[in-house]
Amino acid sequence: MTALFRYHAAMLLRSQRWLPPLLLYGIFLAVGVQGGEPVLDSLGVAAAALLPVTAWLVRICVTQEPDAARAVTAAASGMPQAHLAALLAASGCAGAFGVAGTVIVTAVSERRSADGLVDVAPLSAGAAGLLVALVCLLTGAAVGALCSRPLLRGRGWSLASTALLALLALVTTGSPAKAAVSGLVTGSRTGVIHTLGLPLAAAVLVAAVVVGAVCVLGTRRG
Amino acid sequence: MGRRYGVGGPWVLRGVDLVLPSHRLIRVEGTNGTGKSTLLRLLAGIDSPTEGRVTGRPGRTAYVPERFPVALPFTAAGYLTHLGRIHGLRGARAAARADEWLERFGAARYARTALSELSKGTSQKVAVAQALLAGPELLVLDEAWTGLDSAARTQLDLAVAERVAAGGTVVFVDHDPRRLAGAADDVYALAGNALVRDTGVNSPAGQGPRVRIVAVGPPGAAPPEPLPGGPTYERGPAGGTVQLTVAAAHSDALLRALLAARPPWHIHEVSLEPATTGQAAS
Repeated sequence: MTALFRYHAAMLLRSQRWLPPLLLYGIFLAVGVQGGEPVLDSLGVAAAALLPVTAWLVRICVTQEPDAARAVTAAASGMPQAHLAALLAASGCAGAFGVAGTVIVTAVSERRSADGLVDVAPLSAGAAGLLVALVCLLTGAAVGALCSRPLLRGRGWSLASTALLALLALVTTGSPAKAAVSGLVTGSRTGVIHTLGLPLAAAVLVAAVVVGAVCVLGTRRG
Repeated sequence: MGRRYGVGGPWVLRGVDLVLPSHRLIRVEGTNGTGKSTLLRLLAGIDSPTEGRVTGRPGRTAYVPERFPVALPFTAAGYLTHLGRIHGLRGARAAARADEWLERFGAARYARTALSELSKGTSQKVAVAQALLAGPELLVLDEAWTGLDSAARTQLDLAVAERVAAGGTVVFVDHDPRRLAGAADDVYALAGNALVRDTGVNSPAGQGPRVRIVAVGPPGAAPPEPLPGGPTYERGPAGGTVQLTVAAAHSDALLRALLAARPPWHIHEVSLEPATTGQAAS
């Protein structure tokens, strides 16, 4: 699995296909985060931005390998493992984006609650931001895995459903990403950092179920 | 096992029952569109059957597609090193094997060339090298010879015989009926959507050039068993010698086995026996 992960990660890095999602993430941050705004609000925006970016990275990783090379890798390692490695490489890249984004946002934001009355410790804010980013990353990875091959092969359908589902995952009540982000933003009003155990557990569960199903289906449908 | 694409699609393969023992070279024949590639993909684990199961596939399985025009952001050696690691080799060994196999197929000077800039033939050499570099237990070749130059084809023939001699299983499809002629242990033919065993007598694959090896062993010793290629034994021309006849593709492996036997055998003579023709008519 390590070798497969390295192969997929190297493919992603060397092809420079990670650049457009990084630009999108940068644009989201540039538009949504202003220096000097309350840190927890800004971290919420940064984490939410990571969801569609992760979904896009997953789409890139599972489609970037040409069919002949995919057949060769699948024979060497097994189809589920090959697909899982692609998903992990995408998540790893999104994780790097998320960490960088969270650090930058924590650094440039005002470490106070939204009403400016309560101080927010930068370390605990950053840690909460990372956790919410992780929830969004897992949800985004599930969205990307559901909306690309092997389940959806057509490019148009795949892109449209990725965009739609990513949006829904951010605004629908009951989505772990929505719960985590709004928990952060609500906490910003009073300067309280809420515990994120439930959304995180839900996101882990959703991602595990989706990834497991997709990887097993990957062998079924070639 | 069977395979069809889509829920109500026609069956590409149906009722296929195949055992792939070790030490075997297996040829699959069939006209275009009979599902040869589908069968090979099922065997290699790239695809899974709609009904039935494929069991006991060895850990080290390698597959070579017919065409490998791959646009990946790696150099030939870089790609092979990654694939070597995926096949289970350790870092430095993967890189060393990559160079070794590129050299063997006459592509060493393209080691630092980007895959996207390689010619069709050289890409195919990379595809073949990737499959061989970790010594697979199951090697699946889907017209892997297509696009290779004649020197590389010969190397691939030899590499296949080496894999079989080392205890591996090789399954191949090739449009050239003389490919590895006489070397295949089993020949199967796909007709309709079923797989039938071909006795091999009428097939050109059952014939082909054979190599005669005259060897002498320690007094009274029988040749070591099992010998690659399943040679026929006769008493040799000189006293105490044994004459072994084997399909040309297996001759190197057979010689190696004889020389490496404990105690070793001495090789008296190696000669090429012309291809037998007209057997099918008799």
